[in-house]
Amino acid sequence: MFIYFIRRLLYLVPMLLGISFLIYLGLELTPGDVISYLLPPEAIADLKPEELMAMREALGLNDPFLLRYLRWLGGILQGDFGYSLASGVPISKLVLDRIPATLELSVAALVFSTIFGVILGSISALKRGSLLDNSLTVFGMIGVSIPEFIFGLVALVIFALNLEWLPVGKRLMPGYDSYWDHMPHLVMPAMVLGLIMTAGVMRYTRSSMLDSLNKEFIRTARSKGVPEWRVNFVHGLRVALIPVVVLIGFRLPMLIGGTVIIEQVFQWPGVGDLFVNAVRGQNYPLVMMISFLSVTAVLFASFLIDLLTALLDPRVKLE
Amino acid sequence: MTRRLTRMDKRFDSILEQTEQGTLKASSSNRALNKLASNKLAVLGLAFVTLMILSSVFAPWVTQYDPQKVDLRMMLKPPSTDHILGTDKIGRDVFARIIYGGRISILVGLGSALGAALIGVSIGAYTGYKGGWWDSVFLRVSEVFMSFPQIILVLMLVTILGQSLMNLIIIFTLTGWGSLYRLTRAQMLSLREEEYVQALRAFGLSTFTICFKHILPNALGPIMVNITLSTAMFILQEAGLSFLGLGVPLNIPTWGNILNVAQDLRILQNYWWVWLPSAVTISLFVLAINFVGDGLRDTTDPTMQG
Repeated sequence: MFIYFIRRLLYLVPMLLGISFLIYLGLELTPGDVISYLLPPEAIADLKPEELMAMREALGLNDPFLLRYLRWLGGILQGDFGYSLASGVPISKLVLDRIPATLELSVAALVFSTIFGVILGSISALKRGSLLDNSLTVFGMIGVSIPEFIFGLVALVIFALNLEWLPVGKRLMPGYDSYWDHMPHLVMPAMVLGLIMTAGVMRYTRSSMLDSLNKEFIRTARSKGVPEWRVNFVHGLRVALIPVVVLIGFRLPMLIGGTVIIEQVFQWPGVGDLFVNAVRGQNYPLVMMISFLSVTAVLFASFLIDLLTALLDPRVKLE
Repeated sequence: MTRRLTRMDKRFDSILEQTEQGTLKASSSNRALNKLASNKLAVLGLAFVTLMILSSVFAPWVTQYDPQKVDLRMMLKPPSTDHILGTDKIGRDVFARIIYGGRISILVGLGSALGAALIGVSIGAYTGYKGGWWDSVFLRVSEVFMSFPQIILVLMLVTILGQSLMNLIIIFTLTGWGSLYRLTRAQMLSLREEEYVQALRAFGLSTFTICFKHILPNALGPIMVNITLSTAMFILQEAGLSFLGLGVPLNIPTWGNILNVAQDLRILQNYWWVWLPSAVTISLFVLAINFVGDGLRDTTDPTMQG
């Protein structure tokens, strides 16, 4: 187990190196002087051109590409992400401020979609071929075909603008700042994001559950006289859940990507919103660094999911 | 012992009768096509996709309005006999914009899927068959590309390359080739061990001929399915990006660009005809493509029965 853990961790290193190289290449290719995001803007404004030249030399901006890349990478490892072009605020601070909001939204959507997807998927598998199963399958198909932001817009029109049950957007009303005041704001974005993912989890749970219900151990359990609900949910579902955990791991990039558009629809002040605004404002360093951070997050999450499946499923080979 | 005739029995009887009279014709068409034709959802999907493609290609005959013509006396008019889907914020006919918008949206979707297929399939087929050093290099490169959340990679490239129709197709191609490459490579890895390949190799055929002319046609089924589903995915992505105002430049009508105005809450609440028809069109079109894709998968994959 430990060897497997180390091996998987070491595998991340070349991936992260490749990705960071691409990101740095992007930073160099985009217009704008590198110096403008290495230093806070007010420091640059005070400099004379010749001082700037000396500074470039001192900072090593005239060094060969590979050397500059390595130095940049060293900075990243020490938590130095550079400065935003628009505000001059360190990028690490900008992103850190936004992370709680995105985390809140995505965890809520993940929990929602996992619970509903697993329940609906198991029902679908147990009642295979019934009207309920068929209509759930068609709903699943419709769910993956409608873009998430259209779901979001329709939900906005119905629940916020016409029925006025829920607030239109944003994370907090001015003047309310306790944690529970988030909840009415969180409901819609989380439900919309969750619904899209529910379709996938449901389809997968259904086929995985069908698979495990045909196994020998289910017949054994039945012949021992175990009650039907116990056979289905304790014996069947438990084994069926392993591939579902893997699927949820694979959904993480989708979850992170999904928040980008949903946060725009609901003006949710998360990292996705920061990212889109950076793209709109041509704020290159911010765009690059958020991309880099999100890939890193995805890679580490899939690493953890791999470990989790290895722990859950004795059939996974650890060599 | 007699029993009630079932539907199947009647069918057999009628076939028997036809054979005796000599009127039964041998079925000459493709078995896969027949199977696709018996899948109602796939046929329905294919009909809708064809209808949309034809109407956007022949847009000038479908609608008399120019999608770009601004008419300030006709701002935000609800649907009427003149304008079946009403007019938008600056008096342009919404129906005309959807029909003309289909041209670009479908072009982006299909063009990017074909571009991604061209790159992914040719690299996947060659390196998958050859194996060795290049194979592992491309495998790593595709892993790097695929570990990005798709929309983040797309938006990052939009920032680097700038916003235009051609750039969008290039960006989608760059972000989408990975899955087609993986698929083709996996197919090649299993097919290259077949005996006919060994025979061809023994005959001394060139690697290029063996992998593109002899093995690749056997792997086309799943590749076609993937191209179909990728087209749907790219249409969805175009819509999402254009909704954010970061996809196709806003002066070109596309389904996503029509939806862009829905960011305005006033329009969202009071003028449903400006955004809802386009939203419905995108969803139906993508749903139709997904039905076709699923139908294709069932016909080409012998392990997927029922």
